[in-house]
Amino acid sequence: MDDQACPRCKTTKYRNPSLKLMVNVCGHALCESCVDLLFLKGSGSCPDCNVPLRRSNFRVQLFEDPMVEKEIDIRKRVLKDYNKKEEDFATLREYNDYLEEIETIVYNLTNNIDIVGTNKRIEQYKKDNKEIIMKNKAKIGREEVELEEILEIEKQMEELRRQEINRLEQEAKKQKIREKEALIDELMFAEGDAKEILNTFAQNKANKQEEVLPAVPKVTQFSTGVKFTRLSTQPTLPLIEEGPLYKYEAPIVPDRCGPDAPSIEDIVRCGYLKHVRAENETEKAGGYKSTLPCLRALQDALAGLYHTS
Amino acid sequence: MEEPILRYEKIDFLGEGQFATVYKARDVKTDKIVAVKKIKIGSRVEAQDGINRTALREIKLLQELQHINLIGLLDVFGQKSNVSLVFDFMDTDLEIIVKDNNIVLTPANVKAYMIMTLKGLEYLHQNWILHRDLKPNNLLINREGILKIGDFGLAKAFGSPTRINTHQVVTRWYRSPELLFGARQYGTGVDMWAIGCILAELLLRVPFLPGESDLDQLSRIFQVFGTPNEETWPGMKNLTDYVQFKIFPPQQLRHIFSAAGDDLIQLMESLLALYPPSRCDCTQALQMPYFSNKPAPSIGSKLPMPSNLSKIETDKPSLKRKLLESIDGGSLAKRLQF
Repeated sequence: MDDQACPRCKTTKYRNPSLKLMVNVCGHALCESCVDLLFLKGSGSCPDCNVPLRRSNFRVQLFEDPMVEKEIDIRKRVLKDYNKKEEDFATLREYNDYLEEIETIVYNLTNNIDIVGTNKRIEQYKKDNKEIIMKNKAKIGREEVELEEILEIEKQMEELRRQEINRLEQEAKKQKIREKEALIDELMFAEGDAKEILNTFAQNKANKQEEVLPAVPKVTQFSTGVKFTRLSTQPTLPLIEEGPLYKYEAPIVPDRCGPDAPSIEDIVRCGYLKHVRAENETEKAGGYKSTLPCLRALQDALAGLYHTS
Repeated sequence: MEEPILRYEKIDFLGEGQFATVYKARDVKTDKIVAVKKIKIGSRVEAQDGINRTALREIKLLQELQHINLIGLLDVFGQKSNVSLVFDFMDTDLEIIVKDNNIVLTPANVKAYMIMTLKGLEYLHQNWILHRDLKPNNLLINREGILKIGDFGLAKAFGSPTRINTHQVVTRWYRSPELLFGARQYGTGVDMWAIGCILAELLLRVPFLPGESDLDQLSRIFQVFGTPNEETWPGMKNLTDYVQFKIFPPQQLRHIFSAAGDDLIQLMESLLALYPPSRCDCTQALQMPYFSNKPAPSIGSKLPMPSNLSKIETDKPSLKRKLLESIDGGSLAKRLQF
């Protein structure tokens, strides 16, 4: 099945490359727009099997076979209750039987075999094992809390690292200032040639930098234990060409041959706007402001007043 | 005046659009290379109206405008029933540069392009003209690295309190939300939005909001900036073509443009503000810290040029592009309704 297609509108992946198939609990696929269409009236049921569906249960189909999606859904639901661990059983044999039972239930539900009976079985199991299910759920909760704690620790470590970097940066800055001061002092009080002093200082600086340079590539360790290191062999970008920094300059106003029109601020402040039609809400929503026509009218009126032939 | 046809010596065919054919030519009088845009007569009906409307706009406006960052109209001449406009010759445009994978655009390059565009546009707005068709394709660049805004076929004066404008302007991907909602009274915001989209495209190297229809365009916009409501955009519901959209939460621009600095994000946010009155104008944009901060904008000669610049003239890819565009409706926006 190379060409995915929506079973309802028959659109294929080939005709609409952005086609997204969605599946719900029943395992029948629908494309995104058909899903939109289905829920236009509020609620809908699967066009294939008439099972009432909830919109929030629609997910993007990850696997080519929608049955896989259905099984995942069912398995998730079943495992919520069948949450016993190996420790809950006396023998390995019992545990394996238990796992086998889960598989049977999932298989039955996915392939529509004896659904009523299987559901009854689940209900029965739930009733029988109420306490143990609750207990295990709480246990899972505890596991989650532990995870949270680990995350918290990781966050703290990151914060520490950040502070460390900040500290180093500050130190470097201070060091630079100190060096500069030393240089100036030297220039002020030493007897030697100024050029020579400058040279020695420059050399010292270069030496120091060389000492620092061979930095060990940083190794990042993840909680999963995966290590990865940024290789320092990456080509660096070509050096950025330095030009003069940009400074805003107002464009030259053409000679209008008349007195200057007031600025926008003056138009607002001095009450010019009382004499023009104010913009209504729709015009304002479109980005129209009455200050602009007002300014333009004033400019037009004042232009050319000084004109002499 | 001497016979103009003799004054311009055709060198090469550059491209063909919906309204005109463009040739590269040499001005015999000054020995300068120019671009001659020969306006097509079009259909019978159009011919009856006299001179083509877009050509008339270009002639009318460009005659009076003069700025280093606007294309210069050097001459206009007629020949039988044909009208030709003579422009500065420009080597390439921003669309070619953005699409050229061999070109690395540094932050300094982007800044330089933006400054030149905004300066040209500031001049235009100061003279009460809206360009209404800003897109990378219309930002022309010459060998010296000077960017000039071109194609004034949709440009129009603004600032009239009564005049109704058409909202069918600006190529869709660069069209602002108020135009998409059918606003008939608008201001400089429509150009500013387009600038924002162009800036985003310079960073992403692909069109930022490539909508497939006007509605899709709006939903793409809202998917990024969040669906506006009566509080964030008062009066929105009164606009002619207003439709209720699904509520999307706004996204953080810094997540989309992860390589951009805070000053750049700030500029982008004020260029691409959904509510038109809160969008900045050119002057405000140019005064934002992004432009005065480091890195300094590249100087013209350091700006990248397509490596196959000489080949472009022989291969004529621009012709192909233009033709393709007119086939898949890229020229749709140019149809004016009055």
